[in-house]
Amino acid sequence: MSDAILTENLSKRFWRGTTAVAGLTLRVPEGTVCALVGPNGAGKSTALKILLNLIQPTGEEARLLGRDSTKLGARDFQEIGYVSEDQRLPLWMTPRQYLDFLRPFYPKWDEGFREKMSGLLDLDLTRRLKQCSRGMRMKAALLAATAFRPRLLILDEPFSGLDPLVREQFLQGLLELTQEEGWTILLSSHDMEELERIADTVAFLDTSHLLLHEPVDALLERFRRVEVPLVPDHAGARNLPATWLEFREGNGFAHFVDAAWSPEAFAQGLRAIGADPAQAQCVRLSLREIFVVLAKQSQRDRGA
Amino acid sequence: MLPFSVQFRPGVPAYEQVVRAAQRAIATGRLRGGEPFPSVRAMSREFSLTPNTCQKAVTALVNAGLLEVRPGVGTMVAMLPASDPATATSELRERIDQLVIEARQRGIPLETLSRSLAQAWNDLEPNESDE
Repeated sequence: MSDAILTENLSKRFWRGTTAVAGLTLRVPEGTVCALVGPNGAGKSTALKILLNLIQPTGEEARLLGRDSTKLGARDFQEIGYVSEDQRLPLWMTPRQYLDFLRPFYPKWDEGFREKMSGLLDLDLTRRLKQCSRGMRMKAALLAATAFRPRLLILDEPFSGLDPLVREQFLQGLLELTQEEGWTILLSSHDMEELERIADTVAFLDTSHLLLHEPVDALLERFRRVEVPLVPDHAGARNLPATWLEFREGNGFAHFVDAAWSPEAFAQGLRAIGADPAQAQCVRLSLREIFVVLAKQSQRDRGA
Repeated sequence: MLPFSVQFRPGVPAYEQVVRAAQRAIATGRLRGGEPFPSVRAMSREFSLTPNTCQKAVTALVNAGLLEVRPGVGTMVAMLPASDPATATSELRERIDQLVIEARQRGIPLETLSRSLAQAWNDLEPNESDE
């Protein structure tokens, strides 16, 4: 499988000296959905804009569909769809007029596929965009970015400000694209529940740095919230495994989040502090909870 | 319509939830041996999951011996050999032991545990759980 996106040590430092992206190394194989998550201001949008050649990187390079991102031109954008967070649309047009305007630029424009997507998204094509809600505008933007069957679709915060029904329709639209041959999606988002369903991998960006990039399933599998009774005069919370986060004691119990849970290592760790593994309660974390744990941890690491 | 549905909840890998729902459908006879299993594409649409996730669920079910891939035909629910009750029970013994140990540690009396078991058993009865 070839890589739809490959960046090595990608960086962006603005002229005032602010670093927006620091040494980003990211590989997104073709045919997968990668979610870029991270706190506001982590550098997600900047990273996406570098990939799309909208801003120039200051260090190293990125390759999209095998081509240098700084050399992407009109021909390449016939294979790349992009919807930005504040996508500008010609508000005086109706979605139909806008789509008719775009069509001639794309040799691979597929009216049949566009039709199917309009149906899935349930979009009224005849109302002026100026009079459309945010949800309808986002749908129009998604239609415009997918009607030419792009091989790579990049979305910046696609779900923000959408009501649950529109979110579901939007999700269905994205999934329709994944039924096509040779598609890849990279999206930034804070909507963890949607991501848990649709993303194959999650890349966590914080203060310009990539903290992790791994399969959603693996991430969900390795996190557990643990509650375990402590024996009196136990060895105590010294030399705890580094993967036990947010460790605290109270009322004879220890509470923590294990970020590298495996039955064996976990039992061993508990015995070391004088707790009985059989009495431990382990609960899985949702992607949203994992995000909060990681963001807090990263904040603590920076403070230290 | 697919022969089984999934109520997704966050925190458990989506493919695992599909696997469990399919196992349940097979255990209750809603899906029978020799019947076709839904395609990756159909599941992807119905459950709003990517094809990768659905493929992963199918692979897990094939590895567990619950599905068979017949070239040119598709994925079928496997015909399970009628298992010898004695062997089957002994295979489950270890998990039963574990369950009993946990129940005793938490001070759950046998009566309550049996009731929960019976409840879980009845919940799987096809006639009652048919939506």
